[in-house]
Amino acid sequence: MIEIDNLHKKFGDTEVLKGVSLSIAPGEVVSILGASGSGKSTLMRCMNGLAGLNGGSLLIDGLDVSKPRELREIRKRCATVFQHFNLYPHLSVLDNITLAPMDVLGRKKAEVEAEAYALLKQVGLADRADAYPGQLSGGQKQRIGICRALAMQPRYLLLDEVTSALDPEMTGEVLDVLAALARSGTTMIFVTHEIAFAREISSRIVFLDDGVVRADMPTDRFFAEDGGYGDERIARFLAKMRNK
Amino acid sequence: MFWDGFLVTASVSALSIVGSFLIGVIVAFGAVSRRPFLRKAARGYIGLFRNIPFIVQVFFFYFGLPEIGVYIDAFTTGTMALSIAVGAYAADVLRSGIENVDTGVIEAAEVSGLSRFKIYRRIILPIALRVSLRPLGSVFINLVLTTSILSTITLNELTGNAKIVASDTFRPFEVYFFLLLFYCVLTYLLSLLINLWHRRLNRFMRGAE
Ligand SMILES: Nc1ncnc2c1ncn2[C@@H]1O[C@H](COP(=O)(O)OP(=O)(O)O)[C@@H](O)[C@H]1O
Ligand SMILES: [Mg+2]
Repeated sequence: MIEIDNLHKKFGDTEVLKGVSLSIAPGEVVSILGASGSGKSTLMRCMNGLAGLNGGSLLIDGLDVSKPRELREIRKRCATVFQHFNLYPHLSVLDNITLAPMDVLGRKKAEVEAEAYALLKQVGLADRADAYPGQLSGGQKQRIGICRALAMQPRYLLLDEVTSALDPEMTGEVLDVLAALARSGTTMIFVTHEIAFAREISSRIVFLDDGVVRADMPTDRFFAEDGGYGDERIARFLAKMRNK
Repeated sequence: MFWDGFLVTASVSALSIVGSFLIGVIVAFGAVSRRPFLRKAARGYIGLFRNIPFIVQVFFFYFGLPEIGVYIDAFTTGTMALSIAVGAYAADVLRSGIENVDTGVIEAAEVSGLSRFKIYRRIILPIALRVSLRPLGSVFINLVLTTSILSTITLNELTGNAKIVASDTFRPFEVYFFLLLFYCVLTYLLSLLINLWHRRLNRFMRGAE
């Protein structure tokens, strides 16, 4: 369970998150939409402890992100996939995937490697285990990024615009992997500009607007005329995204 | 005779390369530390030892310290002085390598739960080393050349030996010309090795993000 209560985050004098409250239950697939600059990435960075809080609270399974010891535990349960992949350039694909499970979770090498191969197979990259990130295409790198996150067997998966840095022809291969994940019951918090895809895979949509939650509702309602779509700012955002 | 000198030069060089590398790593991490005290101390170290002529440092250790009762032999003094002085250069090169490591990559390691120490050891240092290998190579080549200064504190390495041979044989031209060639070949070979190593380590690094 992720419980965010009245979360505030400032950078210098500008307040980026102005009292965000949100809770996400295990098994949910929640998409976070919103214009660029609305604070989506900042919210994600608060969840995995990359950004500190200036007010309010953020608990994951009852653990407090602002307490270093509890954050360490949170990081075992909560994995992140990045927009720019952020793979370790000096490590092979296999080592990228197995490093943290072995080191942080203290699991056995043979076991973790077997799992890594299974994950690679799932994303269609079984033959690239010995490659280095520099030898892969963007779409392949991001699929490895997803494998690296999943190898931690996380309860929560944070994905921040994971297809934005990809060429259109590679977006599909990554979205396919994510769709399969969403069906498998992994809890996903998914920041995206792929509206159609968000509509397809998520059970719930959260709309961030200038640092506040403007809508938080089941996907069907969000896209209904008398639901989120009825909100003039949301309608404008959706229209703009559609015209892109 | 010449061979003895070479052995001294080689062992002083090897030991000081290891020593200055270790000092360099520690000081470089100090220089990028979030703790102001560590930062200042490390940057002070780098600034200090790069701004004193090496020969003055060596004289201080070898001729100055005995005055206050600290006696160290020429070999040890030379190795220590080189490690300390070149450590400052190595630290500076490594610091810039560390600062250039993609913050996104470091953040990925952080959120995966790796400890600070492990992040330095498994992610930041290996990436920084790959970037810094070439400039670090120049620093170490310079170190090898600087060993010749140790002849001034009675250490009979290559240059010290050559001096003796030159005065024994009265053929300074031939002796020093040979010495000159020898240093050239030695550093050229070293730089070749470093380039090869650099290329090997970096063969997959491009476009990795
Ligand atoms: N490290 C930072 N320092 C200063 N301002 C920041 C920083 N990160 C984000 N911001 C600002 O916070 C606002 C929200 O950013 P972000 O969370 O990245 O939005 P989104 O992901 O929705 O596009 C933007 O105005 C951005 O400029
Ligand atoms: Mg963003």
